[in-house]
Amino acid sequence: MKQQWWIGYGAVALTVTGLALTVTPAAGQSALAGYSLRVTSADDGPVQPDEGLTLREAVELANGTLTPEQLSEAEQAFVQPLPTGQGSQIDFDLPMGQTTIALVDLLPEITAPELVIDGTTQAGYDASAGLDPKFPPAPVVSLTVAEGSEVARGLTIAADGVTVRGLSLYGFRTSDRATQTTPPADIFISALAPPVDASPLSPALDLFRLDQPEAQPRGVVIEQNWLGLPPNGEFPVVPSAFGVNVFNAVETTIRNNRIQNHDGSAIITGFRADGLQVSENAIIGNGLAGMPDAIRLEGAIAGSAITDNLICANDGSGIYLFKPEGATQISGNAIQYNGRRFERAAVYLMGNDHQLSDNFIGYQPGPGVAVTAYPLSLRNQIRGNRYAGLDGLSIDLNTQGNTGVQDFQKGDGPNPPRNSYHRRRETGNAAINSPQFDDYSFVSGAAEVTLTGTADPGTEVDLYRVAEDGFPYSPLSEPLGTVTASPEGTFSASLALPPGTRVSAIASDPEWGTSEPAPVAAVLAADGTLPELPATPVDLPNCAAPVPPPEPVEPPPPLEPLVLTVPRNIHFALDRSDISPESAVILDQIAEVMLEYPFLTVELHGHTDPRASAAYNLALSERRSLAARNYLIQEGVPPERMRIVPFGETQRRSEGSGRVEYARDRRVEFVFTDVRGLDIIFVDQEADLQLE
Amino acid sequence: MRRNQRQLYRGLLFLLTLVLSYCLSHIGPPSTVAQAQSRVFVNQAAAQFDGPAGPVTVTSNETRVGENIVPLSIVKTADRAAAEPGDVVVYRLLVTNPSSRAANPLTITDQLPRGLIYVPNSVQTTPLQPTQQVITDSSLTLTFPSLEPGASVSIAYGVLITPDAVRGDGRNVAQASAPGFSPVSAPFQLTIRPGIVADCGTILGRVFVDKNFDGQQQPGEPGVPNAVIFMDDGNRILTDPDGLFSLANVLPGYRVGTLDLYSLPGYTLAPNLYRIEDNSASRFVRLSPGGLGRMNFAVTPTFGEEQS
Repeated sequence: MKQQWWIGYGAVALTVTGLALTVTPAAGQSALAGYSLRVTSADDGPVQPDEGLTLREAVELANGTLTPEQLSEAEQAFVQPLPTGQGSQIDFDLPMGQTTIALVDLLPEITAPELVIDGTTQAGYDASAGLDPKFPPAPVVSLTVAEGSEVARGLTIAADGVTVRGLSLYGFRTSDRATQTTPPADIFISALAPPVDASPLSPALDLFRLDQPEAQPRGVVIEQNWLGLPPNGEFPVVPSAFGVNVFNAVETTIRNNRIQNHDGSAIITGFRADGLQVSENAIIGNGLAGMPDAIRLEGAIAGSAITDNLICANDGSGIYLFKPEGATQISGNAIQYNGRRFERAAVYLMGNDHQLSDNFIGYQPGPGVAVTAYPLSLRNQIRGNRYAGLDGLSIDLNTQGNTGVQDFQKGDGPNPPRNSYHRRRETGNAAINSPQFDDYSFVSGAAEVTLTGTADPGTEVDLYRVAEDGFPYSPLSEPLGTVTASPEGTFSASLALPPGTRVSAIASDPEWGTSEPAPVAAVLAADGTLPELPATPVDLPNCAAPVPPPEPVEPPPPLEPLVLTVPRNIHFALDRSDISPESAVILDQIAEVMLEYPFLTVELHGHTDPRASAAYNLALSERRSLAARNYLIQEGVPPERMRIVPFGETQRRSEGSGRVEYARDRRVEFVFTDVRGLDIIFVDQEADLQLE
Repeated sequence: MRRNQRQLYRGLLFLLTLVLSYCLSHIGPPSTVAQAQSRVFVNQAAAQFDGPAGPVTVTSNETRVGENIVPLSIVKTADRAAAEPGDVVVYRLLVTNPSSRAANPLTITDQLPRGLIYVPNSVQTTPLQPTQQVITDSSLTLTFPSLEPGASVSIAYGVLITPDAVRGDGRNVAQASAPGFSPVSAPFQLTIRPGIVADCGTILGRVFVDKNFDGQQQPGEPGVPNAVIFMDDGNRILTDPDGLFSLANVLPGYRVGTLDLYSLPGYTLAPNLYRIEDNSASRFVRLSPGGLGRMNFAVTPTFGEEQS
């Protein structure tokens, strides 16, 4: 309720400034006085003259809705006027040990252009602590929600050129209520944000203007923040809903942030986000209980770019483009261990002219890149990427107008060659044919092997080495080179490859886009045998921050089957998915084991008893495994090592229909896997059985 | 001057006549109920005015209070008790004047229920012929000059049952009236069977990502494919790749549909900041027979799925 009041207050303030802008459009922005503000109090509450300057007072001073004369003498000392035309600057000088600003209400919307909120000015901020630009040093000042309050948004930005630097924001969400709320976020960027819900106290809606391009904030910069996690790096008690919601803003820059632990996406766009730049962020473990994709682009995104990010251990796709307008460029990212909850493509493309280059895409329970068949998506160039550990094709073009549920998540697998011109109208990237090698194996010559095959005439054929064996469409590990197909549609490449190498290829045409990979061909030794190449070393699931000193290299321990006396299941009460204290004890043991052995991964199989409908039980089993997973995340187990697999009532533990049997059925099983490829010995337990 | 005075005189005289006739009809012994029943009060008004051809007197009809007039009788029948769209029903009316006075003039009206229309030129009357006949699609008015005491008139007409009739009640009422008689009416209830004509309606709608939270789809608000809508009768509908759906052959009546949020992971119903009703999780439409209903669902990216 009080929150609504603040929105109303902001709206009134905005109307006033809006009027001022319409009267003097040219001088409107420079009319706002600029201040250098020093926040010295971490308290929050109504604006009043007292000892310290709070963040709320600072924002209102910058917005021009508060004048220094309305504050006390002591507070005025922290306010220094700046020359006309210069934007305000908010610095922090909080007392030691009181650097957490717990909001009780929404902060006023930031309407002051060129305002800089700089958390790095707080004493104790160690700018040199960041080794990798993706992992900025831990902020000192954190912005969160006071216990017992509900605040939907951390910072709401509605002005040009605002910079937010070096803050930790977490805990911003709304609770369940009769009507839904508009999406909450740590940082919400829009020309006048929509009210949180449809309460009668919400402001008049003619303020909520999406279609006025001149109102969109331009050039907002979000940098060096920790979003979704407190400065100590722990999982927050109350996770935030979304990270940055670029709802209606152009040329927003999001760089060098650590965005973690959100219920929904780390970065989501809404109506317009043209020119969005997302670079060098660490986006880890988001989408835990909502929109599962790490970066979700919707609406207008022309000229946007996602470069050099680490996108790891999120619950859905790494990047999902949902019916956007305009093209984006995705390059230099590491997109790995996503799809923890939904088996989706690591990158799902809709729309035309997207460029995907020089990324590493791996360890995904789905294809690497999927291109939709509807809306028809053309000219998507997907070149120079490396892939590993996929459950599907490296590049999957949906064909034949496939628009089923799976097609919008996992793609539809290898396409047959184009047999009609009409295939172009119903296939992603206009059904460009994948190259075909002339043979499944090529005999190596003295120094080189000559690979020949067919492809669409005039296309550029990128040859790839394939490291993983088994599947004929194994991930493309490493680019080997590019040749151009002849006008007759043949290609030939001579490469120095050791016998035993397996190769594949993709074809790209500037007019249509990039194709699916060719089935794998092998390079044989001169005598016609296929030698075994040494296996590549195992990559441990990892998206951790870089460790400061180089570790002394330990001698690798001999590989022995691991004998674990670890419980492998927990039980639940009837129709419940909360963790009982007994189950918590067991989960603590599992967490301990997981933390002790970094090569263990675990699948959480949720199960229910056979009562109620199959669909309901499927959802219930997913809630159970989610509850267990989220508990383990809070215990510090990295999310990239856990996957959720709901089974519903399909796999009962027992066969009877008594109370005990049903109690045994209501469980989550932990299926451990040793990524070194060794067996593990388990222990079943029933200490936490809950009879009903 | 004199002329004016004379005119004033005449006006006064006219007023006096009116007042006197009014008073005369009321002067008399104080009447009791018993006396009133045995007596008949005849009242007739007259007015006189100066026309161009000298004074003219007009008199009204007589009203008789206390006279025990036997009312008209009206009987209505049809050639069938049940009908379905496409049938022609022949109605017959018999109006009799059992009183001792002539019904002058006699007016007969017939009001048809929804979906029944007169067959043109199908009215036949015996033995009298109407002086005036007003027929619209759903009503019939016949005027006869006079119905003598003891006489009767028979009227027959044809009515066509249209498919709309299934929405009406099939009950039509004929009425006969004449000055001095209290009106009488006769209903006839026809059972309307649906026949071979379907009255199913269509429901259509869309599921889309609402960016401005007004519940309407505008440019830049993409439809959500493969969303599931459940109807009250268990029908499960899947949206197409543009987020549209339509459901043909829906029985008319009140229909409820709701969005299965499990089918669109990552989305939930969007708040509607303009209409409180649209914040509901289900949509309620009143589908008229053969009508069109609309169910739009606005969704928005969600969080906190573990709460509910």
